[in-house]
Amino acid sequence: MADATLHHAEESNQELWAGGHSPFRVGYGKIMMWYFLISDTFTFASFLIAYAALRFTQTDLWPKASEVFSSIPLDIFHGVNAPLVFVSFMTFLLIVSSWTMVRAVQAGYRMDKNGVVKYLIPTILCGVLFLGCQYLEWTHLIHDGMTPTTASATTKVTNFGQLFFVITGFHGLHVLGGVVLNIWLAVAAWNGRFEKVGHYEMVEKLGLYWHFVDLVWVYVFLCFYLL
Amino acid sequence: MDFEEPVQGHLHWTEEEHSHGKKEAMRTILILSAVTVIEVGIAMIYDHFVTSGSGKWAINLFMAIASVVKVYYIMGTFMHLKHEKKWFILSALLPFSFLVWAIIAFTWEGSSWHAMRAGFLGIF
Repeated sequence: MADATLHHAEESNQELWAGGHSPFRVGYGKIMMWYFLISDTFTFASFLIAYAALRFTQTDLWPKASEVFSSIPLDIFHGVNAPLVFVSFMTFLLIVSSWTMVRAVQAGYRMDKNGVVKYLIPTILCGVLFLGCQYLEWTHLIHDGMTPTTASATTKVTNFGQLFFVITGFHGLHVLGGVVLNIWLAVAAWNGRFEKVGHYEMVEKLGLYWHFVDLVWVYVFLCFYLL
Repeated sequence: MDFEEPVQGHLHWTEEEHSHGKKEAMRTILILSAVTVIEVGIAMIYDHFVTSGSGKWAINLFMAIASVVKVYYIMGTFMHLKHEKKWFILSALLPFSFLVWAIIAFTWEGSSWHAMRAGFLGIF
């Protein structure tokens, strides 16, 4: 199988033009996943550029991130001033899950079924934890008075809440989609589906999607929490 | 699902490639964590000691550069783009050049809107 699928640099130009080759030496599905992610980047970029434009219309009123996200939305931390701590934890969850995903992809390269499942489980758990944290943070902010249509005493401008819920919500939907796909992937791998196929390219494709979720978070984190 | 289609690409690794990839992944997660910790640390220190908002542009510039560094490592190593063929890398990255003008145009638009509102408020 491996010999039949690997075309290294030996073939001549003529052979390359004869068809039946992948000029990028990447599977069709993987190329299409990349191009889907690029189109998805433009959707997120539109949202974030809208954020920039609306922020520039009211720079003097725009709230400081350290004041809006000043606490940890858990009862035991009630009243503790800890700006950005909770969201840093959320960022860390995504980074760790990206790493476990890479390890799952690498286990797939070795046809190591147990390795794929072993590394997919923490990836799924981190995704679920991230969504749970987002639920806590949203609830806390809504309780404070910041909703998609109203501003709280600290956020002052309505646009902040609107953009926050739309953009983090859209990102959260991507995380949710990733968690569902990863659960499917872990079950399929466990059932030996990819051993029958002969390779674990599907792990790599969904891995690309999962890293993209992490990548978008870098910019969501930058716009809402750091700038 | 159709399993007949031939797959192109390097889908089976040797032991050596595997141990190299494992090290590279570990290095990347450490870099990503470190950059995030530095970003958050600087943001917290700045907010704690500078209340006037002076020098915020330098902080913003640093955060933007740090984010590009993180994206470089996520795309390059985690998404394996660094090791793909040159034209595949370019086909994935060149579309983003469209965003450069979009960012300039829309922040310009926002500033203009801001100036207009300030002007009207001054008159009325």
